[in-house]
Amino acid sequence: MSELHPEIHERRILGTELLWAVGVGILIAATLSTIVFTALTRDINPPSNVERIDPKTLHLSGEFTEQNLGTTVDADGAVTARVIATQFTFVPRCIAVPEGRRITMRFAAPDVIHGLLITGTNVNTMVVPGFVSQVHTEFTRTGDLLMPCHEYCGLGHSEMWATVQVVPQNEFKPDQDRRVACAKR
Amino acid sequence: MSLDEPSAAASRVEVANDVDEESLAEVMRVVPLGAGVLAGSAVALLVLGYLAIYLLVFLPRGTVG
Amino acid sequence: MRNADRLCLAHSWVAFAAFLAAAVLGTWQMWVRSPLGAHVGTPGQYFMSVTAHGVAMAYVLTTFFIMGFGYFVAVTALNRPLPGLLWAWSAFWMAIVGVLMVLLPIAMGQATVLFTFYPPLTASPWFYIGLVLIVVASWVWCGLMIVAMWEWKRENPGKPVPLAMFGTVSNAVMWLWTTVGVAVELIFQVIPAAIGYVQTVDVGLARTLFSWTLHAIVYFWLIPAYIAFYTIVPRAAGGRLYSDTMGRVTFILFLVYSLPVGMHHLMMDPEHGNGTKFIQVLLTAFVSVPTLLTIFTITASLEIAGRLRGGRGLFGWIAALPWDRPTVLATGLAFVMLGFGGFGGLINMGYGMNAMIHNTSWVTAHFHLIFGGSVVIMYFAIAYEMWPRLTGREHPSRGLLRLQLWLWFIGMMVMTLPWHWLGLQGQWRRVANFNYADPITAGWGPLVILSFGGGLVLLLSALLFTRNLFVLHRGTIVVIARPLYALAVHPPQRVPAALNGFGLWNVLVLVLMLFAYGYPIAQFIITPSPSAIVHRMSAQ
Repeated sequence: MSELHPEIHERRILGTELLWAVGVGILIAATLSTIVFTALTRDINPPSNVERIDPKTLHLSGEFTEQNLGTTVDADGAVTARVIATQFTFVPRCIAVPEGRRITMRFAAPDVIHGLLITGTNVNTMVVPGFVSQVHTEFTRTGDLLMPCHEYCGLGHSEMWATVQVVPQNEFKPDQDRRVACAKR
Repeated sequence: MSLDEPSAAASRVEVANDVDEESLAEVMRVVPLGAGVLAGSAVALLVLGYLAIYLLVFLPRGTVG
Repeated sequence: MRNADRLCLAHSWVAFAAFLAAAVLGTWQMWVRSPLGAHVGTPGQYFMSVTAHGVAMAYVLTTFFIMGFGYFVAVTALNRPLPGLLWAWSAFWMAIVGVLMVLLPIAMGQATVLFTFYPPLTASPWFYIGLVLIVVASWVWCGLMIVAMWEWKRENPGKPVPLAMFGTVSNAVMWLWTTVGVAVELIFQVIPAAIGYVQTVDVGLARTLFSWTLHAIVYFWLIPAYIAFYTIVPRAAGGRLYSDTMGRVTFILFLVYSLPVGMHHLMMDPEHGNGTKFIQVLLTAFVSVPTLLTIFTITASLEIAGRLRGGRGLFGWIAALPWDRPTVLATGLAFVMLGFGGFGGLINMGYGMNAMIHNTSWVTAHFHLIFGGSVVIMYFAIAYEMWPRLTGREHPSRGLLRLQLWLWFIGMMVMTLPWHWLGLQGQWRRVANFNYADPITAGWGPLVILSFGGGLVLLLSALLFTRNLFVLHRGTIVVIARPLYALAVHPPQRVPAALNGFGLWNVLVLVLMLFAYGYPIAQFIITPSPSAIVHRMSAQ
């Protein structure tokens, strides 16, 4: 049959499929390139520091004990916020961050899987017991942002959220312990 | 449909009846032009939508690494 | 056909009964979390419902439907009786026991862990053992599909396996690979924790093993819809399949690339580095290829049908298609939803861009649209094709079938499009109630209500679907035997062994899995991560 009707010949059909595949392949490659480009030039990567910590003891000693939590500015001006995600609250519940300055945010969970995002920003990470989650970012607008827990962590999950207070640079002043707390409103 | 009834896929006559080979050859002169344009436009729209979100929503939200 | 008629019907009715119950629960959930139902229900009830809804839709509807459709294809496409009928029935009853073992703890509040059950949140052990039984039953199905194809090949040496069966077996082989992740997680980590044999669990490892299953499982769900696209739809439209070869290539590409991509569900997780995440993003780009090929091939097949019916010009063939036939209508609607859903998926897989939407309503929107929308609407179409052939009765009116499909499409679009927008606003997911007094969430209220409206339309569609199937058990009209499967433009006389079997491709799957998941899993053995204490939900 196909000898009488060359149009139906398998080769032509497969040829059009190949043409289509090449066309969409180029489009897919183009979208992938934008991703690679952003990752390399704009420093936008998923949070992937792979740093281990024992969830069972992190409240007892080391970086995530209660007195270390919150926002601190160290001697060379680097701003770090340390937050614990636990059933069903973030500690501290309000995190002060500076506008227009690079900040490192570090999270740990002593109990179950949590996650968080900060509205209006690209800050988004899971908080997995056993690992420290780390995100570097720079907040571009002042005001209060919502930081909810976005991974189901038990029945109280719906009530678990924190506030991120983005403070203008001239108001972002550490106290004598080098800590910055949220302004009381 | 009983057990002894052959599967329709096995019956060339049953299926081929609905499509006359001459008409098929005629139609295959044009196909897949319409499909290519339709599907191609759809995929192109998808990629444009992706770029729009990338430039207008994602990048303005700032760096995160 | 007779020997497997009841088997197909049994599986399909269980699937759709679970579907209807889950649809009711889903609608209730949407009401409760909207401003309209703000003070209704406790978190315990809400998350119990979410768990039941997820388990029913993701594990029961799917597994039972796919098994039933597989048996149907094995008999009708191969034109021979199903081998191992006793095995098939045993597997069915084992799966039923499994379903009961899963549902009862949920109903008793002892398994409020959602269908993803991430440890250290831990449910009653019966919940997990029930899941294991369902999975093992599905493995019996896989075996029977492989045996059926193997026996047919032995009886038909050198001939190409009918495409519908080739697709079904590719799905079965892929499912065997897929379930390894969750099976290892359940047997070695979660069940020992649930029964109290261990008190701690390595959370990062559990999440990684589950991700192995989590993406590939959606292709397990999707391939039956694609089998319909390639082998049923061209016939229903009155045309031919543009290319049988591309059908085979598509199923093989899904087998190979569905698995080594699960880490794109862990993009925001701290237990894996950028290297492995990026590799899996690359592989995810490859798994978009079979879908893109399918869009072209099926559209071309529809173009053939439309032009044969007199359609002229660049797009005239579209209007000329027999849209009054439910299968054709479902396909058109499925492709529209596939477009939107695919768009969402492109954003999700975008490496750093995943941060914009991870765990927001965008994700909920995406999988409801692409699975609940494009795939499930094809399940409806397949059911409408199977039922007359199984019951011996014809649909009294196709109008109600088409109405049900339209309602599903409209409901799904109205429900999910606002969710996409809300996700971009930062609305997070798996929440029992929002504080609509808060300024940020207050603006979301109207869209949540709109989305709930879509859900109500979906519920109506689900009820109509059930009614449409039920009618076919009572009607007196005798079915006019209609051919089901399509012929290709160029029906294959012989195909290369690589397109007629899976030996070579299994090797490739193994290689890719070692490449993509080898180190990510091995790292938990080389450098064990500190484990977390088991947190029993069943104590509450």
